[in-house]
Amino acid sequence: MNTPDHLTNDLLVRALDDELSDSENALVESHLPGCEHCGQNYAALRLLSGRIESVIAAATPEALEGDRDLLAERMETVCIQPAAVKNYRRAVRWIVPIAAALLLALFIPRLAHLSKQNQIAASQYRPGATLEVDGETFIPLPYSNPDLPMSAPHIVEMQVPVASLASAGLVFEPVSNGPAVSERSVLADVLVGLDGQPLGVHVLSVE
Amino acid sequence: MALPAAGWDVEYLEDTSPRRLVLEHYDREQLPLRRYLLFLGLDQESCREIVQESFLRLHQHILAGGDQTNLRAWLYRVAHNLARNSQTAFHSSRTGPLADATAAGDPPSAAASVEDEFLAKERTVRLSRAMQQLSTAQRECLVLRSQGLKYREIANVLNLSTSTVGENIQRGLEKLKEVL
Repeated sequence: MNTPDHLTNDLLVRALDDELSDSENALVESHLPGCEHCGQNYAALRLLSGRIESVIAAATPEALEGDRDLLAERMETVCIQPAAVKNYRRAVRWIVPIAAALLLALFIPRLAHLSKQNQIAASQYRPGATLEVDGETFIPLPYSNPDLPMSAPHIVEMQVPVASLASAGLVFEPVSNGPAVSERSVLADVLVGLDGQPLGVHVLSVE
Repeated sequence: MALPAAGWDVEYLEDTSPRRLVLEHYDREQLPLRRYLLFLGLDQESCREIVQESFLRLHQHILAGGDQTNLRAWLYRVAHNLARNSQTAFHSSRTGPLADATAAGDPPSAAASVEDEFLAKERTVRLSRAMQQLSTAQRECLVLRSQGLKYREIANVLNLSTSTVGENIQRGLEKLKEVL
């Protein structure tokens, strides 16, 4: 059917849909007026396309009067939520594992360096010195940079290896437990400074 | 010319938000989008939920500073994926999308007589059935095309190449032409 003397269906359909290149368009415009066969084919495709549109337009879903208001209300809820840290944590739940992995890559080497020094029990480390951010109390970590402002805290909930915390002076069980210590982790909020380094930690649960 | 009241002004400024943009899209696209979802084989309630979810995601997308060059295609893609997930989850056992869809209302007809009207309805039913015989990709392409999407937009929604979209539309039309 698609002999060289006639336009292909591909060209005719794309002509209907205004999807032709300039050269194709020129070909169709020059051929169509003088070819009865292609003219009829084009008309048939256009009629069929119109009928398909009618069939689909007939499938009008039932009117849903309240849905626009519901959508507006739900979007409003998103807008007026205070930028509280807990909401932020909820919003970034899916990126927390990724963030945790990246953070630990920075976190552990520095702690490992410190672990070679004397380990200090949590109760002994800077007694009384805590960081208060959005009502949450954090135990400052040894390498916190006191010069950086605390006005834009970033808190990430993550699993922190007990071994890392022990290196930072937060001991949860006797160091003599050996290998078992390094395998455990605790759920903690880690306060991340503007330089991307952890400033403090708030242990949420110890299993 | 009277200046708007202060309250109105504040309200207007608030309304220039992503929320307003989403509602503009909603007014324009929700009906075609629901038609598309119906033709994917979803029931009315699922269509309703997916449309809501799609526009909420659009809002989040805009709030997050996402690309806004073609929000219509973005919206259809999200709705399409949500519909596919929904169908996979519930293993929809419906016999066909068009049977439900066309039952939702009478087709528009210019028929002047009862006989013409009957023939028009008969043609609609035949076309609906014929569309069910198309491949999923052909049907999806044809329905998106009927909603005014360009080939590159359809390609974006269905994750196909533009040439494949053109091919699906052409083959789909050829099959329907044969049947009718």
